[in-house]
Amino acid sequence: MSAIPTIAEAARQIAAKKLSPIELAKAQLARIKKLDPQLNAFLLVTEERALADAKAAEARQMAGALRGPLDGIPIAHKDIYNTAGIRTTAHSKLLEDNVPTRDAHTVKKWADAGTVMLGKLSTHEFAFGGPSFDLPWPPARNPWNREHFTAGSSSGTGAAVAAGLILGGTGSDTGGSIRGPAALCGIAGIKPTYGLSSRAGILPLAFSLDHAGPMAWTAEDCALLLQGMAGHDPEDPASVDRPVADFTAGIGKGVKGLRVGVVRHFFETDHRASDATRAGIDSAMDFFRKEGAEVRDITLSPAAEYHAVGYLLMINEAFTLHAPWMRERFGDYGELFRDRVALAATFSGADIVQATRRRRLLCREMAAAMENLDIIVSASQPGEAPRIADVAKWANMEKPSFTMPCNVTGFPAISICTGFGEGGLPVSMQLAGKPFTEPTLFRAAHAYESAMPWRKKRPAMVS
Amino acid sequence: MSVPPIDEAQLEVLLARAGLPHSPAQVKAILPGAEIVQRLLARVNAPLPREAEPALTFDVEQQ
Repeated sequence: MSAIPTIAEAARQIAAKKLSPIELAKAQLARIKKLDPQLNAFLLVTEERALADAKAAEARQMAGALRGPLDGIPIAHKDIYNTAGIRTTAHSKLLEDNVPTRDAHTVKKWADAGTVMLGKLSTHEFAFGGPSFDLPWPPARNPWNREHFTAGSSSGTGAAVAAGLILGGTGSDTGGSIRGPAALCGIAGIKPTYGLSSRAGILPLAFSLDHAGPMAWTAEDCALLLQGMAGHDPEDPASVDRPVADFTAGIGKGVKGLRVGVVRHFFETDHRASDATRAGIDSAMDFFRKEGAEVRDITLSPAAEYHAVGYLLMINEAFTLHAPWMRERFGDYGELFRDRVALAATFSGADIVQATRRRRLLCREMAAAMENLDIIVSASQPGEAPRIADVAKWANMEKPSFTMPCNVTGFPAISICTGFGEGGLPVSMQLAGKPFTEPTLFRAAHAYESAMPWRKKRPAMVS
Repeated sequence: MSVPPIDEAQLEVLLARAGLPHSPAQVKAILPGAEIVQRLLARVNAPLPREAEPALTFDVEQQ
């Protein structure tokens, strides 16, 4: 087994009684102690809780009563997920001393599955304001190069998974907050179909765009983690009451017969991605063709259309939630969150109705485009991670996002690593599917990851 | 559809109307974002066909 196992590997070893959950948890805690002071991925390490969880998992292992593949697996939660009795801050001064009394639905589901909770992870303030240097805690750093950005807002999860501090963790995605950090940190992260996993107990950013999902080193690990998260929850009004698929059903089945559409204009003309990003996607599509998939280019509305709709709705919904605090405690927010959300003051109700009407058209457009396709492909991010000091306050507004289309439509999408760019940092691609076709996304992503060398390389600081 | 540009004085009024405390320096700091929002607004306010009604934003059962 490699020094840092994947979840799938660790689960097999734990089931075979060849890996001790206690020893695994101790190894992870030691790695956190060694590396996290350079990364700021954790806002809180819950060592005592982790060792208690690991001890319970090991007792089940010895009794032959493991609860499944997540039993004994070390994870951590983005610090917008409520954890009973454990501080949950949203990386904000406003919630510096907030201790929830209940776990978020998904936190409880992972705990019930036997996971070992190592702590709470850095985020952008309230999942939107970052990277910020005026908050009670510093922003997470990219393990591939500490001077560079992780993307956000699930920044701590991206950094912690890439550095091997955790085997998987939670993220949330309102405009790309799972897929962005997954892309820039060189890991896998899936934004599931809207309604598939509950948001109850997760601090919201924008109700109609928020999604909860997992991040891990591989797509297969994301499938295992999503299996432990998904399912109907009456406490989330958007939660869908339907049977949960077997997300690992397609693992190992290859891509033969899949119909793939590449939204080339998104990353070639609408927002031109780096040479390495475009080359990575082209190379991946060559692999898909060689393995028997049918690949063709498709055209959607410009990425800027999806971006405008999503961004305006996001800041409008965020302002609706935060207005009472913003009126009373404006100065307690970090500048980035405060100034971005304050922009909701500049548009009208009629503008929001127009954005909502346009959203409906975009949902129809994407559904029609996917009628005869299984997957659509684009970039996740325009290139390698920029230097953190160079990330401007308005950078995420100025150019169209590649991830926002699937928040606007609610369609599932996964980001996976496609190699490394000129600066030695990861580049990525995004695979999107029809609603509730996550097994197909995992199937294709796993086929690609298994055939490429990228999953064998960790950041230099890890070795 | 074009959306009129926004200046500091207009932004100051809008922030005040929303009940957001702000200093002149904060208005200056937010203005570049407000200018980007004007461009986003121009996109969403382009004419729409009648069928672009807002109900059923998500059609999650569509396969």
